[in-house]
Amino acid sequence: MAYLKDQRRETMMVEGSWNIGAYRYKGSTQLQEYVDGLKEKKLIGSLCPGCGKVIVQPRNICGRCHRRMDKRMVVSHKGTITCFVISPPIEKGKYKIIGMDPVEAGVIQEGAILVPVFVRFDGADSNINTILLNCPPEKVHIGMRVKAVFVENPEGKLSDLEGVEPLKE
Amino acid sequence: MLRNAAIIGCGQTKHSGRRRDVNQAELVSEAVHNALEDAQVSLKEVNALVVGNMQGFGGVANPDLWIGDWIGAPGKPVLRIATGGTTGGSVGQGGFYSVMSGLYDIVVATAWEKHSDSKEAGATTGLLHVALANFFHAFGYGLSMKNLLATSAVGAAAGVAAYQARFYMHRSGCRSEHFDMVAAKARRNAARNKYAHLQWPNCTPEDIHKTELIVDPFRYGHVCPASDGASAIVIACEDIALKKCKRPAWVKGLASYSDEETQMQSESGGGVGVLDPSEQMGARLSAMKAYQQAGIKDPKQEIDVAEIYQPFPSQELLFSEKLGLFDEGKAWIAMEKGETEINGRMPCDPSGGVNATNAIGSSALQRILEAGLQVMGKAEDHQVPKKVRNAVAHGWGGVTNYITVTVLGETPAPRR
Repeated sequence: MAYLKDQRRETMMVEGSWNIGAYRYKGSTQLQEYVDGLKEKKLIGSLCPGCGKVIVQPRNICGRCHRRMDKRMVVSHKGTITCFVISPPIEKGKYKIIGMDPVEAGVIQEGAILVPVFVRFDGADSNINTILLNCPPEKVHIGMRVKAVFVENPEGKLSDLEGVEPLKE
Repeated sequence: MLRNAAIIGCGQTKHSGRRRDVNQAELVSEAVHNALEDAQVSLKEVNALVVGNMQGFGGVANPDLWIGDWIGAPGKPVLRIATGGTTGGSVGQGGFYSVMSGLYDIVVATAWEKHSDSKEAGATTGLLHVALANFFHAFGYGLSMKNLLATSAVGAAAGVAAYQARFYMHRSGCRSEHFDMVAAKARRNAARNKYAHLQWPNCTPEDIHKTELIVDPFRYGHVCPASDGASAIVIACEDIALKKCKRPAWVKGLASYSDEETQMQSESGGGVGVLDPSEQMGARLSAMKAYQQAGIKDPKQEIDVAEIYQPFPSQELLFSEKLGLFDEGKAWIAMEKGETEINGRMPCDPSGGVNATNAIGSSALQRILEAGLQVMGKAEDHQVPKKVRNAVAHGWGGVTNYITVTVLGETPAPRR
């Protein structure tokens, strides 16, 4: 999120829209497998035959031992918070992201506090970056046990995994 | 090493939020001419140039294409290097390679950034390109805006650094107050450096603590500015360096290592095996290699001053450990005791560092330049009071996974 900069002298204004769909960057081949898994509320990772790490989301080459990661693993919905940051209450008109005010666009409620977290799901050796839900911000800590929260009707989209919430074990 | 090389001249511009008095080419020429003057070298004697800025920033895709005329490049080989935040470090090392390989005798390395040329510093042309466009593939797989906000790459380097800081705090026991102390030190040191951007004499940790919270653990006062500025160094081979310069800064070791990207779920669209973004294996490897070349066995004793790439105060602490200057997780304790102050045992960023001045492309070259000034004894008001035998300069960038480490010293490295 970027702070809005003060206004500067306009030299010229060109009206227009930004067609994000015009960019056709290809996601990794495994991204489709991952979102297909989300549709069935499964968290899929790939296993490295070299170092034995299970990486979620899956990828086809291990970053450090460069072996092909052909085998898929399903990891647990339960996991542990490995890192977190806490936003101040989000104010309207203060931030812009991709030219959009997240409050105005209805993405975040005014005054909401966002707690983005890293979660290592049981059985995985990597973090997933997501949002902590249903938890007062002052309660979050490293090592906190959480479980995945999926949308009611997953459609095979990255947004099917809404976030994580505290787990009572 | 094939042959020795040394920095014989340094030049930089005054840094500020908006250098509206000059355009990008004029800004760079200022630094290059200052460096040539400092080295007492004429443009005619320069064999080649290595140049670079952060790709896409400042609103011009390839500024090197028109800046050449302003820095005396016509009729000479020019190599542009762009490696994100590490750019300046790579440009400097590119210059060293050019001389050490025997290809050229005198080379100018220059790097710059002119953020203010784009309406929102870096944002419209820079960050949208390097951070957000990298996500566009994910929209094709149903990434929601709310999910996007949580990903570290949205804050680009700042997003990654906030998570990185939390990891460092957790494993070292350091607290947000220590970031206040590092940032205050950077502002105070910058006040002694006439070229620096955020100069704040007598800045206290309390001053920093009063600034607004951006995202816990970072406050507004912790974050580096977006600066306009340029830096340049003149590099010469041994014979020329000895002839032209009374006290050159010899390149004793240089290394650059990358690691897995730690910007989660971005470029690759896959997970990353790096669980802890403050681990920074690339920095450890680069330091080990550079020290080995320099014949340095105990950096704690043999390094006298460090210029660390620290846009965020947590990074001065964690990278100083990776550079072997302090034990793992102990840098903040040494900082608390004042060891990293200008007159301390191990001064870190006496120039104020990136935390006080961040013309991105230039920032990592400035670390080399500032380390050079300390060795040459030309850092004026921010010269460390002790004798500088060896200085280490560090750069951080890429997809937060590229590192450069350069060791400069008062004598050439021992021949192996």
